[in-house]
Amino acid sequence: MRAGERPAGVGIDHIAYRLPPATQTLAELHSSGLLKSSPELLSGFGFDLVHVAGEERHVDLAIGAARTLLCEAAIDPSAIDLVLFASGLSSSSMMGCEPAGAGAFIEVRDVMDLFRYPASYLQHELGLDRAAVAGVDQQGCASLLSAIRLARAMIVAEEGIDTVLCVGADRLPAGASREQIYNVISDGAGAALVRRNTPRNRILAARQITKGALWEPGSIEHEIIAAYFPTARTLILETLEQAGLTIDDIAWILPHNVSLRSWEILLGLLGAPREKLFDRNIARVGHTIAADNIINLRDATDAGLVKPGDRIMLFTFGYGLNWSCMILEH
Amino acid sequence: MRRTILVTGGTGTLGRELVRRLRQDPDAPRVLVLARTATITDAGASVVRGDLLARPRLGIDPASYDELRREVTHVVHCAAATRFTLPLEEARSVNVAGTRAVLELAAECRRLQGIACFSTVYVSGRRTGVFAESDCGDAGAGFVNSYEQSKAEMEELVRGAISQLPIVLFRLSTIIGDSRTGTVTGFNALHQALRLLYQGLVPMMPGEATTEIDLIPLDFAADASHALLRCMGQGVEAGHVYHLCAGHARSTAVGTLLDATMSAFTRHRPAWRRRTVERPAFADARTYELFVRSVEEAGNEVLLGATRAVQAMAWQLAYPKTFDDRRAAAMLDPLGIRAPAVLDYYPEIVRYCVETNWGTTA
Repeated sequence: MRAGERPAGVGIDHIAYRLPPATQTLAELHSSGLLKSSPELLSGFGFDLVHVAGEERHVDLAIGAARTLLCEAAIDPSAIDLVLFASGLSSSSMMGCEPAGAGAFIEVRDVMDLFRYPASYLQHELGLDRAAVAGVDQQGCASLLSAIRLARAMIVAEEGIDTVLCVGADRLPAGASREQIYNVISDGAGAALVRRNTPRNRILAARQITKGALWEPGSIEHEIIAAYFPTARTLILETLEQAGLTIDDIAWILPHNVSLRSWEILLGLLGAPREKLFDRNIARVGHTIAADNIINLRDATDAGLVKPGDRIMLFTFGYGLNWSCMILEH
Repeated sequence: MRRTILVTGGTGTLGRELVRRLRQDPDAPRVLVLARTATITDAGASVVRGDLLARPRLGIDPASYDELRREVTHVVHCAAATRFTLPLEEARSVNVAGTRAVLELAAECRRLQGIACFSTVYVSGRRTGVFAESDCGDAGAGFVNSYEQSKAEMEELVRGAISQLPIVLFRLSTIIGDSRTGTVTGFNALHQALRLLYQGLVPMMPGEATTEIDLIPLDFAADASHALLRCMGQGVEAGHVYHLCAGHARSTAVGTLLDATMSAFTRHRPAWRRRTVERPAFADARTYELFVRSVEEAGNEVLLGATRAVQAMAWQLAYPKTFDDRRAAAMLDPLGIRAPAVLDYYPEIVRYCVETNWGTTA
């Protein structure tokens, strides 16, 4: 390694995302009956707009994000060794069976519908003929970060796997509430290319905590909120320790786009200054289930905020319950 | 001269234990308990029907009131509104106005020798540092809850009467149960917080893990206050304040206490471990306030109730302090009465809470 050259490792080499162009305001969502809380409360918690897919299926969003990534990275599709398709919603790990009957979000008309997989569809549509595929799901909003973590583990574990395309995409079923525990949900997709021997966004540490005792989210919102903060703090401190860093070493925190208020509280528990939080997308993008961290990494990079060598922290939380944290060196 | 002791709050957690001890004194004092119902307490004392909130004469019938004025030699005023979440006026009606009525009765007792008023070390409110027995109130720092404030106001009232009446003040720390058996007879805000912690509903607490928390067992509180009562006029002097607390040496850090709590939960309910409840995080005052405000705004009923219950007590942790008890210790040490170290008995208290489901199956 020459002087001034940064060490290579497994890192996130390229990023792209796709948001449906149509947006709705909190007031519009409220008038459509798609919010549980008042627009005023959610506005106070930092939300403004969400992106809502019209005709686009979640796999269309995924292909849009992945195609942009492959194009921008000028990657030959045959260079992809593995595709990991991440889905936060259970419905996203299927090809999609909409429109469903009244009162149902998913309609399975034929058992063969259950064998139609987005990962294979993605491989075929993008011409990733040499890539093996797998799905990463059942971790809610932590699914894509988990896929990136698994991609890194696969690269480290197996010779011959050097380049992994991780794609996460979710869209809420039509008519579903756009609010989950005081967070406003967007449809969207994110794609990340995880590669061996790249100096970009080197993964320094990644950890996850799962609390299966709270697997059933329907009636335990209070327990979820109560578990969220101390577990998030514990996980972040553990991940920092794994990386040999402290919170002071982190230049940017790239959040999942949940309520700004909850981030202010978590920052307080971490003793981290508010200025380190890249928060601009909470209002203008909303919470895209699993793609937030990737969207924020891309936007923070494009805005020139993240400098080479900066240590950045990605944190997210998903039903299941799953807390996931990753520290990168940009 | 045989003592006649009127006890208010004699059916409460501490009062009951105190009455039991007083009735066993060698001089066999006559012990009367001011109570709303019954004719005899479970500690065997006679009841004088009355109510701290009732007027005139505390609701006591005229004949009994006259008898008290003739016979009472000592007044032990334990009765108090101790719920931290009471509206201030409601707390004042018992703790201030009720005390005023008791002092008015005491002032009319012809054979009166002494009055013991029970207060709390938390009249110190949001003060930090060392709080001595000679210190008074919050010194402008403010209070965490209506209980603290109303008790501080009660102390002001008492201090105003000290020139006319032989009053001593006993300031209690937080009583958590019996150190010998773990039994809890009075579940208070701390036990409620433990229950919410068990249920996984306490995400954070204000302050730092190293903040000292002062807790005492019921048996110590009863033994110590009983011993001091017996020494009234013989070392325990009117006008003085006595701290019945663990003090710095026998207190523990709240982080250590939380660890002991979670260990005890696991030990006595192994299935609880599978709930993977995280230890609450410690938050600076601003962060904790933001969390509480957010819960209020969001309005989740369960979390709101839990947060209100915890914060009424937990805010004290944001104001670290230790209680100096050298005046009480000078009297109690020679008698071999000393609060045990909290961690020596606390796990048994937690065990009792868990095994009785906080008293519901005791």
